[in-house]
Amino acid sequence: MQVFKLCIKVINKNKYLLLVYVVIFLVISFTLSLTAVREMETSTSFKPAKTEIALINEENTPLINGFRAELAKVATFVDIPDETEALQDALYFRQVSCIIRIPQGFTEKFMNGENVQLGKISIPNSIRNVYIDLCIDKYFNTARLYVQNMNGITQQELVQYLKKDLYDTTSVEMIAKGEKTSVTNLNYFFNLFAYPMLSIIILGMSTLMLIFNDKDLKMRNSCSPISSTNISMQFVLGNLTFTFVSWLIMVLSCLLLNFKSIFDFNTVFLVISSFVFAFCCSGISFLIGNLVKSKDAITAVNNVVTLGMCFISGVFVPQEAIGSSVLKIASFMPTYWYVKANNTIAKLTRFTLDTVKPVLYDFLIIIAFGLAFFSVSLAIRKKYRSYT
Amino acid sequence: MVVKVKDLVKRYRDILALDHLSFSINEGEVFGLLGPNGSGKTTAINCILSLLKYDRGEIWIFGQPMRPDAYDIKRNIGIVMQNIAVYNELTAYQNIDYFCGLYVKDKNQRKKLVNEAIEFVGLGEFTKFYPRKLSGGLLRRLNIACGIAHKPKLIILDEPTVAVDPQSRNKILEGILELNKQGATIIYTSHYMDEVEQICSRILIIDKGREIATGTKDELKAMISLGEKITVESYSITEKQISAIKKLPGITSVDYKNNALIIKSGKGTNNLETVLDFIRKENIHFGRIYSEMPTLNDVFLEITGKELRD
Amino acid sequence: MFIHIFTYRLKCLLRDYEGIFWTMLFPLILATLFNMGFSNLNSAEMFNPINIAVVNNESYRQNQSFKQTLEKVFTGDDRLFNLSVVSREEADEMLKDNHIDGYIIAEQPIKLVVSRSGIKQNIIKSFIDNYMHTFSAISNILEKDPGKLQSLINDIESKVKYSKEVSVTNAEPDNVLIYFYTLIAMACFYGGFLGMGEVSDVQANIKPVAARINTAPVHKLKTFFYSSAASIIIHLTEMLILLAYLVFALKIDFGTKTSYVLLTTFIGSIAGFSFGAFISAIVKKYEGFKVAVIVSVTMLCCFLAGMMYQDMKYIVATKVPILSYLNPVNLLTDAFYALYYYDTLTRFFTNIVILTGFIIVFCSGTYLIIRRQKYASL
Repeated sequence: MQVFKLCIKVINKNKYLLLVYVVIFLVISFTLSLTAVREMETSTSFKPAKTEIALINEENTPLINGFRAELAKVATFVDIPDETEALQDALYFRQVSCIIRIPQGFTEKFMNGENVQLGKISIPNSIRNVYIDLCIDKYFNTARLYVQNMNGITQQELVQYLKKDLYDTTSVEMIAKGEKTSVTNLNYFFNLFAYPMLSIIILGMSTLMLIFNDKDLKMRNSCSPISSTNISMQFVLGNLTFTFVSWLIMVLSCLLLNFKSIFDFNTVFLVISSFVFAFCCSGISFLIGNLVKSKDAITAVNNVVTLGMCFISGVFVPQEAIGSSVLKIASFMPTYWYVKANNTIAKLTRFTLDTVKPVLYDFLIIIAFGLAFFSVSLAIRKKYRSYT
Repeated sequence: MVVKVKDLVKRYRDILALDHLSFSINEGEVFGLLGPNGSGKTTAINCILSLLKYDRGEIWIFGQPMRPDAYDIKRNIGIVMQNIAVYNELTAYQNIDYFCGLYVKDKNQRKKLVNEAIEFVGLGEFTKFYPRKLSGGLLRRLNIACGIAHKPKLIILDEPTVAVDPQSRNKILEGILELNKQGATIIYTSHYMDEVEQICSRILIIDKGREIATGTKDELKAMISLGEKITVESYSITEKQISAIKKLPGITSVDYKNNALIIKSGKGTNNLETVLDFIRKENIHFGRIYSEMPTLNDVFLEITGKELRD
Repeated sequence: MFIHIFTYRLKCLLRDYEGIFWTMLFPLILATLFNMGFSNLNSAEMFNPINIAVVNNESYRQNQSFKQTLEKVFTGDDRLFNLSVVSREEADEMLKDNHIDGYIIAEQPIKLVVSRSGIKQNIIKSFIDNYMHTFSAISNILEKDPGKLQSLINDIESKVKYSKEVSVTNAEPDNVLIYFYTLIAMACFYGGFLGMGEVSDVQANIKPVAARINTAPVHKLKTFFYSSAASIIIHLTEMLILLAYLVFALKIDFGTKTSYVLLTTFIGSIAGFSFGAFISAIVKKYEGFKVAVIVSVTMLCCFLAGMMYQDMKYIVATKVPILSYLNPVNLLTDAFYALYYYDTLTRFFTNIVILTGFIIVFCSGTYLIIRRQKYASL
């Protein structure tokens, strides 16, 4: 077990470097997952959706005040200085979904039955835009009915009527689907986890392999009376040990940050999922370590492989937001199946063999990927045992 | 006078790296700078080249004060540094051509010079190789070629043979003598005394930044009292016999260690015969007996009280 | 001498595959990944007709006015809903399978059944509310003046749109652009590796090769400028390739001011190069350390400029505005953003002027340090 012991020693020597990576990744993942769940819907009862808007009001009349109150039911007002660039910025960064400007003289013209319109800057065709439009049109169309059909109606009367008319709301029945926010949160966290996991294991293992695959050292090892298969197997063992330890550190810290839902079945499955994925990462790192010959190249390969896999399989952006053709390519990567499994797990409410089956299939695929990576690497090791 | 160094002082914080060092080098010399590791050889070279700031002293090359922007002087200097200084992205040929091009503008002339340099160091088959593909010895040769291709009048070689196999080393040493024959003045630093002894016409021995001794090797050897060293390998010498040997004429010291009797004597006397006579008379059994002339190491040892190589 | 040093430097740089990977290939790959990953990000917030169902019961079949109102919104190109008329059981099934976002039971009062409360569900609700509210208004008016029935019907028919899109610019607030703009900025600042190399190669206390350069009869700064010219040409070419790739292959919108976009890229490239040179000059450590400093400073700046999380840019700009002016990566990103999004050039030129200030600081700092010709230690 000399080779294995040496593996452990080398890793132990580099542990602080690797720990720094773990900490950085955890901090980034955690902030990202925090911001990502900001808009997550929480719900067992129906709640009106609110969207941020900026209202620039150049008038102060009963009609407009009534409108403002009505708008407040669907929107949160955000104060933004009335400067073109500030408004544009707020819109670009989705701090507001639209900016409404009520021009001077609007009320007077409206009460006279003239055609008037509010100015609006919005994200064209966006769903929130449609939502706000519905609200605006509802208020003023209803008001128009009064203006045109009740001669001499005053603003005060009109607002009274409108207030009453618009008070009633449709009764909404929610049928529970029981998605738990805590789980969706954790789901995102575990999806994101694929990136640091891959990076750390590839980086750690490849550094290790680099040392052992050094031409001179490798030759010396080949001269020893231990079979190359034996050496390879000790490597695999060292690799798996390292993977396990890294996985353990990361999962534990991850659970500590989300300790509320530790005892959920969903969480247990997510942890298992990450474990299966870690095994696969181990295979990938072993392959890269056997193929790549220099330290600089490893940094490059590591970046391309991890970022590439994570970007197109939905680790950073939800899988729904990725084009179907891209996802087809992604399905040739273990990360895709890992994210898919996690998403399925997060939606599970009952745990029977039937409901869990698709998850288990995903696990099998990930394991198959891992085994494939290991066998290819072992084949490569065997082939390049001697130098030409 | 090709190089003149006067009263050079260089400090690294508390350490005095060069301690009022002065020397001068004449045209056509192979000047050896000998000293143990850390004695200040490279520091002295870097000061001469105006790479390093120094605290005191003056340096003239070709009769002019040396300054960082003294390009006319620099044009006639070739350097071969201790560290390999070549671009890994350029082939052997391109490297030599690049550095030569910094000195020689004319393209045709440069081509001739580069080819001569390649032939000189024997890199003919490797011109298209990138440095990474060259073995240690070949890389050293490339390093030298880059420094001498422009046929400088003064060539400074700073430990060019470190970590070089004996074959390459001999080739390098021969090459240096050849360059000297072609008219170049050479400054050669090393901590290998045999190398220095082999090629240098004049030698400066330094230790801790101070001049220990200077002169031709014969002059240096003449400075010390030791004339001859006789070693007798034997395991049966008694204390009495040792003190008897000590009393023999011309013998200055006797030392018996590890079954080897080392007898040192002064200059000019034929001591070997006296010692042999004594051994025969006393009927001492011995394995081997040999006599050596003093080396530069003995010079260093006698002056500083320590070995040159530790 | 210029041609000699320049051409050899070009040869060196073109052989430095690692350098080319980081300064060109890596940004190209990252751009491709961004494009693949973000392809549908914008469409996620785009409106598509909402799938709803209405329960086909007796009261629905008889409620002609509601039927007509629904009809108006589920036909046509700018329709609000895709409607299916089904039985209650079917509607339940569809809702569970996520085929519809909600279904309507047209009883008195009208009821909506949904499985979550999101914006789509709220749009459905808002629509039904509207129907009810109109109804309530009509009864109020008729109560006062029953003779208005006909004119009311006409008024209801002619719905008026009360908001008008008053765009201040032709550019759409396309949310993913910032990612690509920061990417170019990052690539520009990765040019810092080239600047770093140039400085290291003339500093005798960093590299043996530099010691050799220092003993050659050519002024050190001359060597530096000549070979820097090669580095800048290479980097500029790389940036133009990246830009062309973004514009022509990935169809990233840079607005219409092409010459300014090129100017920005040029300035960015110089800024990145001089940044690397400056770092290399002030950090007196071995090369690996310099690389680490350049990478971490660049990455931190990219993060603050919104490359990992674009709202970061807005947060910094509104909460700590000074930081967005002190972050050269952000200045560069913002210059591209301003060119694309604003009609006026004030903000663009502010960015460019500050960026030029950075370049001047970097360059003069580098000059002051590397003009030194002798070293305290090697």
